[in-house]
Amino acid sequence: MKHMWRWIIGLLVLGFLILLAILPGGEEMEFEVAAEFEREVLIKLPTIGPFDMSVTKTVAYLWIAVAIILVVALIVARSLKTQPGRFQYAMEAMYGLARDGIVGSVMKSGKAAWFPFVGAAFFFVLVSNLIGLLPLPFGEHHQPAFYAATANLNVTIMLALCTFLFTHYAGIRKNGAFRYVKAWAPPGAPPVLKQMIWFIHVISEVFRLISLSVRLFANMVAGHAILAVFFAMALIFQSYLIGLALQGASVLIYMFEIFVAFIQAFIFAILSAVYIGGALDQDH
Amino acid sequence: MDAEAAKELGKLLGAGLSMGLGAVGPGVGLGIMIGKALESIARQPEVAGDVRTNMFIGIGVTEAVALYAFVVALILIFVA
Repeated sequence: MKHMWRWIIGLLVLGFLILLAILPGGEEMEFEVAAEFEREVLIKLPTIGPFDMSVTKTVAYLWIAVAIILVVALIVARSLKTQPGRFQYAMEAMYGLARDGIVGSVMKSGKAAWFPFVGAAFFFVLVSNLIGLLPLPFGEHHQPAFYAATANLNVTIMLALCTFLFTHYAGIRKNGAFRYVKAWAPPGAPPVLKQMIWFIHVISEVFRLISLSVRLFANMVAGHAILAVFFAMALIFQSYLIGLALQGASVLIYMFEIFVAFIQAFIFAILSAVYIGGALDQDH
Repeated sequence: MDAEAAKELGKLLGAGLSMGLGAVGPGVGLGIMIGKALESIARQPEVAGDVRTNMFIGIGVTEAVALYAFVVALILIFVA
């Protein structure tokens, strides 16, 4: 008796899947992955010199990120209690991660001076990445669309440029310009080798800028492209069965993207802290 | 095959090959690094925090290599 019920349920599920496979898919739609990353102009503003002041989708996402961070930070700061509630406890855990887990674990000196920058970069990148996983009505071709400010190379290059400039500012202010630049080569090396090592170090400094920005950009673009393809796979294959199967897979990828958003913010902040710490305490 | 189709073929082939071959090295590297990190955490659980932090730094640096290949693939498809 018990086994018969199993058979009936199994047959019903099988029949449902066959029905889904036979049913003609919905209306045909064109889908282009690259169109998801187009920078659409929301408010047209005049061009001042070489700078186009128009408000694009990316700028709107940046403003949303700033607004969320401001509101959350102000709410937490205003309602601090000695007996923390759940919300305050969660925010304190994040703050503790940024202070002890990122700055405290990789920097030797200048922790208090450089925590504001590294912590701000961490929270800004984290919130920007996470907003990218919410469908917001800024799409160009269809309305709730996925986009992230950090999936734009201009934004990530500016963030990396902040780290780059602060690194050398910190090093020059602490060690003095000449000593800072001189310490890029190990002091005990023979002359020709020393110059070569110094030159390689200069190149690696430039590549840090590229790798820091391209890593964040490529991670977010790759994640959003995979999500977009999985969400649109039903439109491409014109089949309800494949649509059902792929929606399950896309939930898994969405969860992985949440993890990636967190990890990328963590890596950006910790590499910023490593670079700044390396410029402060130069030891070869 | 005319020149236009040959160019398109070369672009798509190059993009696929760059991403596929570019993922091999970082994949092996990440596997070795995470395996070693887990090994050392299992050996010495008291340094787990330090090992994890350094592992994430290493992951960031290693993974960037695969992402350069991804960017090259994107440039080949959409820009070149």
